[in-house]
Amino acid sequence: MLELRNIHKRYSSIPAVEAVSFTARAGEITGYLGANGSGKSTTMKMITGLIAPSSGQILFEGRPTAEDQMGFRQRMGYVPEEPHLYTHLSGMEYLVMVAQLRNMDARSASERIHGLLRLFGLQGDRDVSLSSYSKGMRQKILLSAALMHNPDLILLDEPFSGLDVGSSLILRSLIEELARRGKVVLFSSHELETVERICSHIVILHRGKIVADDSIERLRTLMALPTLEGIFSQLAVEQDSVAISREIADLIHA
Amino acid sequence: MRRDWAIRKSQFFVLHRVFFMRVIDLELMSADADPTRLIGQFATIFASISLLFALPIILLGGGRMPMTARWTAEHFFIETTMTVVGLIAVLNWDSAFPDRRDVLVLAPLPVRASTLFLAKISALFAAPCLAIIAFNIFSGLVWPWLFISSSSAIDVLRVLPAYWITIFVAGGFILFAVLAVQGLAANLLPRQIFLRVSALLQAGALCLMLSVYFLEPSLESPAALTAPQNQRLLGWLPSYWFLGLFQQLNGSMHPALVPLARRAWIGLAVSAVGAGAALLLSYFRMLPKIVEQPDILRGARTVTWSPRFGNSLKSAITFFSLRALLRSRQHRMILSFYLGIGLAIVLGYVKPPVGGPGSAKTGASTAFLLASILMMILTILAIRVVASIPISLPANWIIRVTQVRPAHHYQRAVRFSWLALGVAPVLLIIAVSFLSAHPWQQVLGHLVTMLFLGILLVEICLYTFQKIPFTCSYLPGKANIHFAFWACLMFFIRLLREGANFESRMLNHLPTCILMILFLAIVAAGLRWLAEVRKSPADELLFEAEIAAEITVLKLT
Repeated sequence: MLELRNIHKRYSSIPAVEAVSFTARAGEITGYLGANGSGKSTTMKMITGLIAPSSGQILFEGRPTAEDQMGFRQRMGYVPEEPHLYTHLSGMEYLVMVAQLRNMDARSASERIHGLLRLFGLQGDRDVSLSSYSKGMRQKILLSAALMHNPDLILLDEPFSGLDVGSSLILRSLIEELARRGKVVLFSSHELETVERICSHIVILHRGKIVADDSIERLRTLMALPTLEGIFSQLAVEQDSVAISREIADLIHA
Repeated sequence: MRRDWAIRKSQFFVLHRVFFMRVIDLELMSADADPTRLIGQFATIFASISLLFALPIILLGGGRMPMTARWTAEHFFIETTMTVVGLIAVLNWDSAFPDRRDVLVLAPLPVRASTLFLAKISALFAAPCLAIIAFNIFSGLVWPWLFISSSSAIDVLRVLPAYWITIFVAGGFILFAVLAVQGLAANLLPRQIFLRVSALLQAGALCLMLSVYFLEPSLESPAALTAPQNQRLLGWLPSYWFLGLFQQLNGSMHPALVPLARRAWIGLAVSAVGAGAALLLSYFRMLPKIVEQPDILRGARTVTWSPRFGNSLKSAITFFSLRALLRSRQHRMILSFYLGIGLAIVLGYVKPPVGGPGSAKTGASTAFLLASILMMILTILAIRVVASIPISLPANWIIRVTQVRPAHHYQRAVRFSWLALGVAPVLLIIAVSFLSAHPWQQVLGHLVTMLFLGILLVEICLYTFQKIPFTCSYLPGKANIHFAFWACLMFFIRLLREGANFESRMLNHLPTCILMILFLAIVAAGLRWLAEVRKSPADELLFEAEIAAEITVLKLT
């Protein structure tokens, strides 16, 4: 179980995340939603340890992650929002490097890397430089790097970005399967339809604060709205999207 | 019509700035780094060197110089300016011709090809022009007065324009020559092959320029310039052509320099036509090829060879560093630059004097010892310099989130990788070049000495380098490692010669040889102990050259 307790993050006194507290349970897919700049990726980075929270506690299985950051990293897999990779390496070399940095057994790492590359359809391009990979291919490398050590906690920040339809369907099923096998999955996405279909628990962030933390069913009932899109629009979208689109059209037409 | 011209002018200036700034890879910089300031720093360095050359004349004054001394000074300034321009042209290699990024970003915009072409050309010439001006800003105003051939008013008036025209023309020749070679290769070779050959051409051009600069013989006397045995060599040394050109423009032409001046004009014309043709062809032929290039370039299937070095962390860091050095053009160029100069110095020491008496065995041995000491020092320092420049800063998150071992384990892995990539190859070269000419006991003694010297140097370099190579942000001017490098090298080179003599004496007797090795081993162990003592208790890796301040400075003034 992953638990965030009253997490704050300020950049030079400007709050990015304020009093964020929620729990993501094993066997459950927790959807983490919010508009651009709402603090989703900042929260993800705080969980991974890439940035330190200004205050608050992050606990994994009841223990603060800061106490044993290295042990925690060993059990965590992370797919960041932006597919930044070392493009001077090939897909294969990158994954081997990640396995070595994670101190994985060479034989099992090799088996898993070859398996993942084959299943993601990258076997033919494994020796090609990552600089030549498309966005979707890079995303598959990121997913492979995040999953190959069989982590207990999986943090997915926009994992569908750049993936084609077939790969998206595989990933969707994969996330569900991983949850079924007892992993803690924290999943951030703008694709509300996918979130609605696979997540059992939703946390909605607005301007750095949590505005909803419940199951989709309960949120639907409480807010008397039929879809997640409607719930999200009401809680986290301030603008009138129709009016703004009309304004944009008017502006470029003028 | 007028509006169209104004738009094109504004587009030109925007594109010029973008292309000019591409000289620096902004993604490598620390958040606090300012590219304009960096260019200013380089200009200041050149101007400082110029002031250094000008100061003796400003302070002590200068009288009329004898012809040979005058030619030596004139040749020095022409040759050095040409080398500076050549190095800038080589370092600008990738920005000379339009690349895929230019095509993809600019093609959908309403920018004319001619505007793009002119902006690219002007940006291409801006950096070398800036370097020529900065490098000659003081010396080019002081020294030419010593180059006046007679006291006639015309000669006095034309010396300054003659000097500046010569250095610009000489710089232009080198720039055009580099562009012509690159452009012709781009047009003649299939694109895929050109992309592979291009890196080799760049490194070759760099080594050629440095070797010519350091190894070029001094022929600045009428006797040497007219000697029949030197004519063939002079035909291949452009700096002497432009020495002839300067005499022609200065009105001090010596008959010995007439063919050289002619060669300078021909060389300039050929290189300019070659560069112009290459640039035009590139814009008309290469752009469509770039657009048609597939998104994914499949590489040839290679045998994946990845032996395990100690633990998995050592393997990861060593292979990561090796691949960065081999595959990143920027890192390879910096490494080639340092190693190229080092090689030239080494060759200068090892090479027996032309026409001199045959070297005695002991003399040659000392020269080889000095060469190998220099090689070891330069290789380790070059790796230290190049490792401080990141390969892709946004991608280092993976190293952070996979840190499952304490930071000092990484430090050990970095130490190992430097020994494997720096010390081991040098030891191999020393062994191969020494074994054929020296007794094996001396070779063994020297190899062990060099091994401990290598370990010692790695310890010294790691003392201030608590990062993973190629992953930490780079803040220019903070470490000033490049300046420290050259200052140390120039200062210690005499000392090293004494060191080589000392080692040569020590190697002759087994007890003294063991003592010397023991001494080096103890110093290396001491440094290692110091490094262990001062290691950070936080056990976190460092990825920022400068820790972010609590208060952000807006720099509004």
